[in-house]
Amino acid sequence: MSHLFDHHGAPGQGYSQPAPVLPASEISVPSSLVRKQAPRWPRISEPEMVRHYTWLSKRNFGIDTGFYPLGSCTMKHNPRINEVIAQLPGIADIHPHQPEHHLQGLLSIYHEMQHMLEICAGMDQVTLQPVAGAQGEFTAVRCVQEYFRLRGEDQRTKVIVPDSAHGTNPASAAMCGFEIVEIPSRVDGRIDLDALRAVADETTAVMMITNPNTLGLFEADIVEASAIVHGVGGQMYYDGANFNAILGITSPGLMGFDAVHFNLHKTFSQPHGGGGPGSGPIGVKAHLAEFLPGPIVKKRPIMGDESKHAIEDMWYGWYQPTHSIGKVQQWHGNAGAVIRCWAYYRRYGNGLKTMSEHAVLNANYLRHALHREAEAAGVSDMIVDGAETDVAKHEFTISLGPAKESHGISAMDVAKGLLDMGYMAPTVYFPLVVPECMMIEPTETESKETLDTFAEDFAKVLQVDAETLHAAPITTPVRRVDEVYAARNLCLRHPYDD
Amino acid sequence: MVDQLPNLGREAEMLATMGMSSMEDLFSDIPEEVRMKGTLPLRGPQSEEEIIADARRLLGSNVALGDRVSFLGAGLYRNYVPASVFQLITRGEFLTSYTPYQPEVSQGMLQAMWEFQTLISELVGLPIANLSLYDGSTAAAEAITCSVRVHGRKATQKNTVYVSELTPPDRLSVMENYCQGAEIQIKMLRHNPDGTVNLSSAQEAAGSCGIYVEQPNPLGVLDGGLPLLKEIVGEHTALIVAVQPISLGLVEAPGAYGADIVVGEGQPLGSPITGGGPIYGIFACSKPYLRLMPGRIVGRSIDVDGKEAYCLTLSTREQHIRRHRATSNICTNETLIALMGAMHMSLLGPEGLHDLAVRNMAACELGKRKISAIAGVSLPHASSHHFQEFVVELPGSASDCLSYLDSVGIVGGFDLARWYADRPNWLLVSFTDQTRANEIELLAAHMEVWASHQGVSA
Repeated sequence: MSHLFDHHGAPGQGYSQPAPVLPASEISVPSSLVRKQAPRWPRISEPEMVRHYTWLSKRNFGIDTGFYPLGSCTMKHNPRINEVIAQLPGIADIHPHQPEHHLQGLLSIYHEMQHMLEICAGMDQVTLQPVAGAQGEFTAVRCVQEYFRLRGEDQRTKVIVPDSAHGTNPASAAMCGFEIVEIPSRVDGRIDLDALRAVADETTAVMMITNPNTLGLFEADIVEASAIVHGVGGQMYYDGANFNAILGITSPGLMGFDAVHFNLHKTFSQPHGGGGPGSGPIGVKAHLAEFLPGPIVKKRPIMGDESKHAIEDMWYGWYQPTHSIGKVQQWHGNAGAVIRCWAYYRRYGNGLKTMSEHAVLNANYLRHALHREAEAAGVSDMIVDGAETDVAKHEFTISLGPAKESHGISAMDVAKGLLDMGYMAPTVYFPLVVPECMMIEPTETESKETLDTFAEDFAKVLQVDAETLHAAPITTPVRRVDEVYAARNLCLRHPYDD
Repeated sequence: MVDQLPNLGREAEMLATMGMSSMEDLFSDIPEEVRMKGTLPLRGPQSEEEIIADARRLLGSNVALGDRVSFLGAGLYRNYVPASVFQLITRGEFLTSYTPYQPEVSQGMLQAMWEFQTLISELVGLPIANLSLYDGSTAAAEAITCSVRVHGRKATQKNTVYVSELTPPDRLSVMENYCQGAEIQIKMLRHNPDGTVNLSSAQEAAGSCGIYVEQPNPLGVLDGGLPLLKEIVGEHTALIVAVQPISLGLVEAPGAYGADIVVGEGQPLGSPITGGGPIYGIFACSKPYLRLMPGRIVGRSIDVDGKEAYCLTLSTREQHIRRHRATSNICTNETLIALMGAMHMSLLGPEGLHDLAVRNMAACELGKRKISAIAGVSLPHASSHHFQEFVVELPGSASDCLSYLDSVGIVGGFDLARWYADRPNWLLVSFTDQTRANEIELLAAHMEVWASHQGVSA
C-alpha cells in the first residue's frame, strides 16, 4: 500500500516557489484571523508524489484498461486529441468575464455546438450552461415552471415519471418544488398509456421520459404519450441519457418533446474522470427559449445594422433571454468539456448517424452473442431478456432471475465474476423493474472481437459454481468490499492519531 | 470517423449472425412518423489533423490571459499548477473511468478521493468533506438548502437564510434557483462601508436556518469580524463560510471559528480557469450535517479478507437510491478536477500552502501601494486587509478605464458595475502568485495616464 499521509518529509518539499514580490513581513491578516494550526498535509517530494498517484492509477479501471459495458453510461473511447485541444491556452487560460472581443473563438465554437445540438434534437434553442445531466434536467424543469407561472398556470404542480426512470429525474423535479407522480411500466418494459391517461390532468406540468428507455427499448407509443400530455396542457421533457442511440435517426423534436437535456460526456465523449466532469446542455422549443439560463451565444449584427455582418461569421455575442430563470452555474458552463465535445462532433459531422447506427449494431450483436454463447455452454436457462423485444437500441437488459432461483447466483455475483475476467461489470440492479437486472451498453467503439470474447467469457462465468462466484473477485486489488462495515464504522478522513 | 469505429465495413457480417440484412432492420421499432429524413444538415466529417488545425485557429483567436498582463480574477484565479498534475491526470485509468460503482476495481480513485476529503477537511477545519460539487456557486447553493434541511424544524425564522449583500449576482442567482423549490426565503446581510459584515445586521439572522458569508469577501476584504458570527447567530443557525482555498495558508480555518459548513471555488488549487469550467466546488461540514449533506462521500472499509479497502458510503442520501427524497439531484460531479486539486495540495504541503498564500497577498499589497499612490484614484476599503484583490474607485467609469488598458495590452480587472449597478467607477483588480512586480508597475503607470486624462475632462 501507498499512503499519502505516511509522507513526512522536510518542509516545502513538493515544488520550490519563487520569492514573493514583497517580504512576508510586509503583509498581515487581521489578528483575529491568523491561522493557528497549519493543515496536517503530507510533505512529499515530486518523485514520491508521482509514484503515489501512478500506483493509485494502477488500482483503477478505465475504458483504456478494458471493456466497460456499463449500461446507461455510454463509456465510449475518449479520443486523445480532445485532451490536447482542451489544454490549449485559448481555452485553458481564458476567463468568462473577458470582453466578447477576447473570446470570439470560444463564442463561435459555442454557437456551432448550440446549432449542432439543435439540429440533432429538433429543438429551437440550446444553452450550454448546465454542467451535468442532472443539472440539465433541473434547468429544463425550472424553465417549464417559469413558463407556466408567466401564463398563470400555477395549478400545475405535478411531474410524471415512469418507474423505470433514472433517479435524477424525480430528484431534479422535486428540487424545483414539484410533486412526483410515478407511473408503472407495462410488463414488456414500455410506457403504459392507460396509466399515463389516468394521472395526466390539468395539474400536470411535465412528463419526464427517456427514449430509448432505460431497458434500451424504443418507446413506439411516444407520439401518443406526447399527445396525452399536451392534451392536458403539460410539457414533454426528454432525458438525453440515451441520445447515443438515435442521432440522425429520429429526434426528441419529432417525437413531440418540448425540452431535452444532453449528456455531452456520454454522447460526445467528454472523459468521465471517475465521476466527472460532465456537461449537460439543454435544448427547448421556441416557446421556452426566453426562459433559458443565459448567456447563450448569438450571431450579432455590427453597428445595429441587421443586414450587415462586417466580419461575416466572426462576430458573436452573449445574449440574455428575456424571462431567463437566471443561472445554474456561476460561469458559462463547463467550457473545457464543450470544447472536447466540439472536437468529437467535428470527427463525425453529418456522419453522426453512423455513430448511432454502430452503437445499436454493437448492442444487438452482443445481445445475440450472449444468448448464443450461453446456449453453446448449456447455461441459457440462467438468463432471460429483461424485456421481450426483437431489437434493442444502444443497450439491453438481461435478468439473472433464473440463475438466482436455480443456482443462487445473483446479478452481483456475475458482476464480480466478470471483474475477475478483466472486465468492468455492467450496471446491476437498474432499472428496478427488472429482477436481478444487468444493463449492458457496449458502445460503438468496441470491435466485434471484443464483443465475441466478452460473450464467451460471460458464458464461462455462468458456468462457475455459486460458492466460487460468491467469493469473487479474487484477482482484483482488493476482494469484495464490505459496504456495511464502511457505513457502520464511518471513516471519512485520515484519522491521524486523534 | 473511421478511426473511431472498429466495425465499420463489417456491418453485413455482424448483421448476418442476427438474421438481419440491413442496418435498417435494427431500427424497425421506430415508427415512420418520427423518422428523420435525409442526412443531418451539418458539415462533413474531419480528420484529427483538420480538427486540431481548426481548434488552433479558433481558440488561437481568443485572448489567452497568459499572453497579456492580467488583473482579472473576481472568483477565478490564475495560480500556477505544477506540471506533474497535468501529466498524471492524463493516465487513462483515472481519466476514462466512471463513478466507482465497483469498488474492487476502483480502489485508486476511491483512495485518492478519500485522501482529497482529508486534505480539504484539514484545510478548512471541519471533519467531513464530500468529493466535490460543480463549482463554488452550486456548493454555496447546496449549503443553503442543506442548512434548511438541518435547522428547518427548530428555526424561529422558518425557511429563511441570510446571504451577504455583496454576493455576486450570478452566484446569488444560482442560490435562488436552488432555493425556490423549497420555498426558502433569502434575506440580505448588510455590510459596513469598509466592506466588513455589519454585526447588528447579523443579529437579525439569529433564529434563521443559515447565514452565508465569504472570506475573503467578493471585494477581496479579509473580515476580522467573522469569528464573532457563530456566537451572534447561535447554534441553531448554520454559519456557512465560502473561502478562497489558498488564503487558508495564512487565514484561520473557518471550522476553527465556528463555521458549520465551508464551501468554495476549489479552482485555484489544481485547476486552470478554463473559461469557468470544469472547475470544482468544495463542500465540507461538521457532523450534524453529515446525513443531510449533498454529494458523494468515500469511506475507508475492509474487504472480505480484512484488507484495507475504500468504497462510496452513505449513498442512501443520493438520488439513485432515494429518488425524489434525495438530499440533492447531483450524480456526475467534478472528481477529476478534485483529483488535480489533491495532487496540487499534496505537492504544496503545509509550508508550500503558506508560501503560496504569502505570494498572492504580497502581490496584492504591492498593488495597493502602487495604485493608491495614483492621483485621482482611491481605495474605498483602504483600511481593511485584502487577500488578493481590492476595489479601486476611479475618476471615471471602470468600463472606460478597462477599454483603455485593453488597448495597451492589459486586462485591467473586473468592472464592478456588472455586479453593483450603483458603482460605475469601481474596478476590482486581482493578483495571484503569477503576478510580477513589473506588471504591477505597468498597470499603475497606465492607470495613471488614463486617470490624468479624466482629470482634464472633469
